[in-house]
Amino acid sequence: MTEDFSPFLPLSPAALHILLSLAGEDRHGYGIMQEVARQSEGQYKIGPGTLYDNLQKLMTQSLVEESRRPPAHDDPRRRYYGLTSFGRGVLSAEVSRLETVVREARVHLRAPRRVT
Amino acid sequence: MRTFYRCLLWLHPPSFRRQFGDEMLWIFDQAANTQGALAICSDGLASLARQWLLRSGCWKVVAAILLALVQVSLGGVALSRVGPRSMVRLTGDPRPVTLATAAHQAVTVPFVMYLALFVLGGLLLMILGLGLWVKSVSARRRPVVLRVR
Repeated sequence: MTEDFSPFLPLSPAALHILLSLAGEDRHGYGIMQEVARQSEGQYKIGPGTLYDNLQKLMTQSLVEESRRPPAHDDPRRRYYGLTSFGRGVLSAEVSRLETVVREARVHLRAPRRVT
Repeated sequence: MRTFYRCLLWLHPPSFRRQFGDEMLWIFDQAANTQGALAICSDGLASLARQWLLRSGCWKVVAAILLALVQVSLGGVALSRVGPRSMVRLTGDPRPVTLATAAHQAVTVPFVMYLALFVLGGLLLMILGLGLWVKSVSARRRPVVLRVR
């Protein structure tokens, strides 16, 4: 049985970037902010308020969960977050949706403009 | 600027502050030099507005109060249109009745019925709004399940 991800789509830009940053490995809040900036080549930056507001929402929706802190010597204030399998499914569905949008956009941008 | 940011965090809803406050302050310490303290503070202000208006469910209480006010206002208009005339019919007084003269007249049964209906309507709306708010608050307090590797 396949899960229905459509109620969660489309994702907001912040949610998409947060899920993307967690796709590779679990990260703490500041790590997510840095990864988002890196993935977007500095074009999209989120502040801590936006980050935790979205993280709270994503955790309520069970797309993200708090994971155990890996390094023992780490700052106790750091908490790590990771994607759930459901969150990974939602991210995949969103990426597929975006691929369709990009494909469609390329077709329309290549085609000569018709005057009606 | 750090004190200002601490105040901003303190103004967030308690559940959010308990869950993320320390981390947000830690990030402020780390990122204030690179991202700019002002940018982080403005982001904190936006987060504060979002948390209270959207996430905490306070908008439902505000909406319930506004709806109750509209209902009471409509009730007042209806009373000014219908109430005094019905009193005229009951008392048999042929003189035209205005709100000012109606205020000096004795309280009649229809008047009390209208008043009770409007007050009950307003109370029902407020209870409905409060119920929705309590439901959303209890839904948000689901236990966080830690992932075991």
